[in-house]
Amino acid sequence: MTKPAKNPAARWPAAVKVAGAIGLVLAITLTPAPRPAWFGVEAAVLCLVLIAGRVSPVVVLRRLAWLSPFVAGAALAAAWSPHGTDWRILALRSGLCLATVIILARTTTFGDLLGVLRQARVPALLITTLALMHRYLFVLRDESGRMGRARSARTFTRGRRFAWLAAASVVGQLFVRASARAERIYDAMCARGWTS
Amino acid sequence: MSTAIDVRQLGFRYPDGTAALADISFGIEAGECVGLLGPNGSGKSTLLRHLNGILPERLPARDGSIRIEGKLVSDENVATVRRRTGLLFQDPDDQLFCGTVQEDVAFGPRQLGLEPAECERRTREALEQVGLTHLAQRPPHHLSAGEKRRACLAGVLACTPGILALDEPTSGLDPRGRRELMALLRGIPATKLIATHDLEFVVELCPRSLLLDGGRVIADGATENLLNDEALMLAHGLERPHILQHRHPHVGDLVFDAATHK
Amino acid sequence: MHIPDGFLDAKTALVTTGLAVTGLGFALRQVRRELPPRRVPLLGLSAAFLFVAQMVNFPVAGGTSGHLLGGALVAALLGPAAAIVVVATVLIVQCFLFADGGLLALGANVFNMGLVATLSGYAIYRLAFRLLPGTRGRVAAIAFAGWCSTVLAAISCAGQLAWSGTVAWHVALPAMAGVHMLIGLGEGAISALVLVAIARTRPDLLEPAPADQPPPDRLRGFVLLGLLASVGVAVFVAPFACPWPDGLDAVAAHLGFAGQAAAPILPAPAPDYQMPGLGSPLFATAAVGVGGMLVVFALAILFSRLLVREPPTPKSPGP
Repeated sequence: MTKPAKNPAARWPAAVKVAGAIGLVLAITLTPAPRPAWFGVEAAVLCLVLIAGRVSPVVVLRRLAWLSPFVAGAALAAAWSPHGTDWRILALRSGLCLATVIILARTTTFGDLLGVLRQARVPALLITTLALMHRYLFVLRDESGRMGRARSARTFTRGRRFAWLAAASVVGQLFVRASARAERIYDAMCARGWTS
Repeated sequence: MSTAIDVRQLGFRYPDGTAALADISFGIEAGECVGLLGPNGSGKSTLLRHLNGILPERLPARDGSIRIEGKLVSDENVATVRRRTGLLFQDPDDQLFCGTVQEDVAFGPRQLGLEPAECERRTREALEQVGLTHLAQRPPHHLSAGEKRRACLAGVLACTPGILALDEPTSGLDPRGRRELMALLRGIPATKLIATHDLEFVVELCPRSLLLDGGRVIADGATENLLNDEALMLAHGLERPHILQHRHPHVGDLVFDAATHK
Repeated sequence: MHIPDGFLDAKTALVTTGLAVTGLGFALRQVRRELPPRRVPLLGLSAAFLFVAQMVNFPVAGGTSGHLLGGALVAALLGPAAAIVVVATVLIVQCFLFADGGLLALGANVFNMGLVATLSGYAIYRLAFRLLPGTRGRVAAIAFAGWCSTVLAAISCAGQLAWSGTVAWHVALPAMAGVHMLIGLGEGAISALVLVAIARTRPDLLEPAPADQPPPDRLRGFVLLGLLASVGVAVFVAPFACPWPDGLDAVAAHLGFAGQAAAPILPAPAPDYQMPGLGSPLFATAAVGVGGMLVVFALAILFSRLLVREPPTPKSPGP
C-alpha cells in the first residue's frame, strides 16, 4: 500500500502540504470550463511540486493509471447527460485532483496527517480512532488473508454459493477477532497507565 | 530481601461461573526470576493479569489477596501497582498500538505524567537497552516478530517497573530472536515472572518455577527438580525438556557459563 | 459510491462538507457520552475491520465481484453514532491514503455513506426487527436494511451530482438508484450472511434486542442526526422533485439527442420508474419505490429462512 518515499518534500511542513493540496483541488474544481488554459497552469504547479520535492513521477503516474479507470467510468457515465458537464472536462478535473492527492500521499506520512488534524483541533476521539485504524489495518488485512487461504484450502466444492458463504464467514470472523483484539488493546493501554 | 509479589489464597471466577484460579498462594522475593508453567488453560495468563490489576477491575469476582511490594492490589492502588508491575502481553501487536516504535515506548512515561524531556530520556534509554534505537521511527507492522517483542519490552522498561510479568515471551520467535531475548532478560535486574511453554527457556533463565494446572498451584520449587520429575510433567500436560534429558558436556557448560556470567 | 473530485461543484462541496462536519461532530459527542471507555479501541478496530471487509470479494459473474459497503451492518453492530464515526474514519483514510474518493468530495461521501446509509440502515434495521423477532428476524432485518441504506445513499449521491450540474437529474436518479437497487441486493445478502457468521460464534456481539426502551437522551441524539440527514437529502433531491414531471418528454428528447450511449442498462419492468397506468409521475415514483421496498422486504424474509434453519427454541435456564 502507499508508503511515503524518502524525498525532500517529506520534510516540508505537513500543514502547508495539506493546505496546498486542498487549495489546488479547490482551484481545479473552480476552474471554469471555458478556460482550459487554467488547467495547464494547475498541471504546471503539480510538476513544479514534483521537481522541487524530487518526487518520482513514475510512481505518481503508475498510481494515476491504476486509479483512473474509476474516474473514466464515472466520467463516461456522466457522458450520457448532455445537460451536464462535458465529460472531457470532468476527466481532466478529476485526473488533476487525483494527481494532487497522490502526490500528497507520497510526501506525507499518516502520522504527519494526524498531526495536522490535531493542530486543526479535530476531536481527540476521532484522531485516536484514525490512528488505531491505520495501525491495525495491516494486521487485520494479514489476518483476513490467512483466513481466506485457510478457507480455500479446505473448500473442495466450486461454485458461487460456497464462495459467498466462505467470504462471509471470513468477514464475520474478522469482526469477532477485531472485537477481541480491541479488548486486549484496552487492557494493554491500561497496563501502561492509561486512564480515560 | 523484600517480598515483591505476595499472593494469598487467590481465587477468581469468570462471569459464567467457571473457576479460572483457585486457592493460589506463593511469594516471590525481589530480584527472583520465576517460571510459570502449565498446560493451556491452566490460568497462567489470568494470574499474570491479576498482578497488574487488570482483571479485578473488569470482573470483580475475586477471593484472596495480592500484594505487590507490600501494597494490596485494589481499586485504590491500581495506578501504583501498574507503575511497579510491567506486563508483557502474549501478542505483541496488542501492545504496540501506536504509530511508531518511539511513540509507543514513550506512551508509558507520558501516562505517568512525566516531563517531556524526561519522557524522551527514558524512551531513548529503553530503546538502547533493547537495541532498537535504529528502528525508533519505524511503524510496528514493519518489524519482525523478535523486534516487536523487544519493542514491547522497551515500552514496559520505560516505566521502570520493579516487577516484570511476561506472557509467552518466546512464542513466534526464531532461535536468534529467542537468544536475544534471553540475553536481554538476563541483563534486567527486576523481579521476573515468566509464563511460558518454552521449557528450555525456563531452565536457562529461572532457577525456580511454579506449576499451574486447572487454576491451582500444583508444585513450587527448583526448576530442574520440577522438570526432571517426568511423571509430574506428563500428568500436567508438559514433558521433560530435552536440555535436561541429553546433557552434552559443552551444552551444559554453555548453560552454566551464561547463568553465572552475571 | 465514492465520488471523485471534479464531479461536484463548489457550492455542493461546501454544503455537503458542512452537513458532514455537523453530523460527525454530533456523533462524536454522542459516542463520547455513551461509549464505555473499554470500547474506545473498538472504534478504531471496527474501522480497520470495515476497510478490510470492503476488500473481500464476493464473486458475481464473469470476473466481477461484489463487495460489502457495510454502513447498515456496522450500525447494527455498534449503534448509529459509533457507526457514523467508524464509516467516516474509513472514508477519511481512503481519501487521503488511497485517493479513493475526492478531497473536496469527502464531505459528500461522508454524508452519503457515513450519515444517510448508517442512519437509515439503523432505523430500518430496528423497525424491521421489531416486526420480525428472533434470529431469523434479525437476519431479515439486516438484509432489508442493507438494501434500503444502499439505495437511499445512492439517491442522495444522485441529488448531489444533479445539484452540481454534472449529471442531469433524470439521468442521475434512474442510473444511480437503478444500479444500486441491484447492488443493494448484494449488500443485503452479504450483511445477512456476515451477521449469521458472527451470531454463530459470538451472538453477544450483536446489539441486544430492543426489548428495553433506549434512554431518552440516546433517542434524542438519534432523532437529531436523522433529521440532519433527512434535511440534507431533501436539499439535494427537492429541487428536482418538481421539474420531474417533465420526465417522459425530457427523457424522450434526451434519448433522441444522445443516441448511442442512452439505452438504459436495465430493462426495467416499470419503464422510467413509472408504473404503467398511473398518472402523476411523482406519485408513480413513490409507488414504484414502495413496491420495490415491499418486494425486497419479502425477499429478505425468504432469505432469512434459507440461512436460519429453525427458529431458536427458548432454552430452559441453567444446566
